[in-house]
Amino acid sequence: MATSIEEGPEPGWAQRVLIGRNPKRTLVRMVLLVIVSLILFRYVLLPVRVDGASMLPTYKENGVNLVNRLAYLFHEPQRGDVVAVRLLAGAHRMYLKRIVGLPGDTVAFRRGQLLINGLPLAEPYVKFPCDWNQNPVQVGPDQYYLVGDNRDNPWEGHEQGRAPRALILGKVLL
Amino acid sequence: MLLAALAAVGFWAWRTLYPNPERIIKKRLAEMAQTASFSSNQGLAAQAWAASSLAEYFALDVEITLNVPGAQRTFSGRDEVMQVAVTARRICRSLSIRFPDIKVTLSPDKTSAEVSVTGEADVTYASGGKEFHLQELRLRLIKVEREWLIKQVETVKTLS
Repeated sequence: MATSIEEGPEPGWAQRVLIGRNPKRTLVRMVLLVIVSLILFRYVLLPVRVDGASMLPTYKENGVNLVNRLAYLFHEPQRGDVVAVRLLAGAHRMYLKRIVGLPGDTVAFRRGQLLINGLPLAEPYVKFPCDWNQNPVQVGPDQYYLVGDNRDNPWEGHEQGRAPRALILGKVLL
Repeated sequence: MLLAALAAVGFWAWRTLYPNPERIIKKRLAEMAQTASFSSNQGLAAQAWAASSLAEYFALDVEITLNVPGAQRTFSGRDEVMQVAVTARRICRSLSIRFPDIKVTLSPDKTSAEVSVTGEADVTYASGGKEFHLQELRLRLIKVEREWLIKQVETVKTLS
């Protein structure tokens, strides 16, 4: 007994290039790709564009980067990590800063030198030094002290200080 | 199918006709940002109209407390706020204000609201210099005769 499979006409090359041999399968793949991309770039790797000069020269203005939102799933942020900090109203705008003070630390600046618990901290990433003077500040039990790498501006004009752990969205990937 | 379509249209109509206060406040703040913004090619009449219509967003006894580097002061009353708006138009060539994030917390009686706002501004000064500002703000709005008016504005320091 013989069986025969009836096949439709072979799709043209333009159709094969644009929607593939099997349009239904292509549609399913597209939907899956969109769903995976949405989840990936919303909940795992957040795309960000750097605006401002506070992290120079480590991160240049208008550079694009990714924030790993799962970086602190199994451990807490470390000193030296560059993190994205969300604002209170939402996460469409974030601060990109480096963690220099951990919970319980005291942070101070003396003639531009960063002091952690009274001891100077080596900061090889700082290429534009400053002459900041700041009395010791105690970092709370659920806080981190953040500062930008570019210290080449007045103390008042540089957004820095303590941020609650809950506002730290993740670690900058690249 | 028809029932589902009717339900969807009904839901849309209900939301359009009776928007919740949170949506009204967000829309109103977005409109205010647009009214406060201006460009260099705006005519004198348009500038005067925009400056006067900005007043409609504020309560008569509004209080704005600025605490940012280079400016620590308080503005009280709608007239003083209008004066600031007029001055800004004199010293800036263009100003673009946006509120990318707005978080509204309504009071239990829904007659006032605490609002956290991320504000950002692109400023071009008359001298040609350009600046970008990002600032968190805390606003208090009150409902007066079906209108939400800004009663209080203060700057917030995210990193303390």
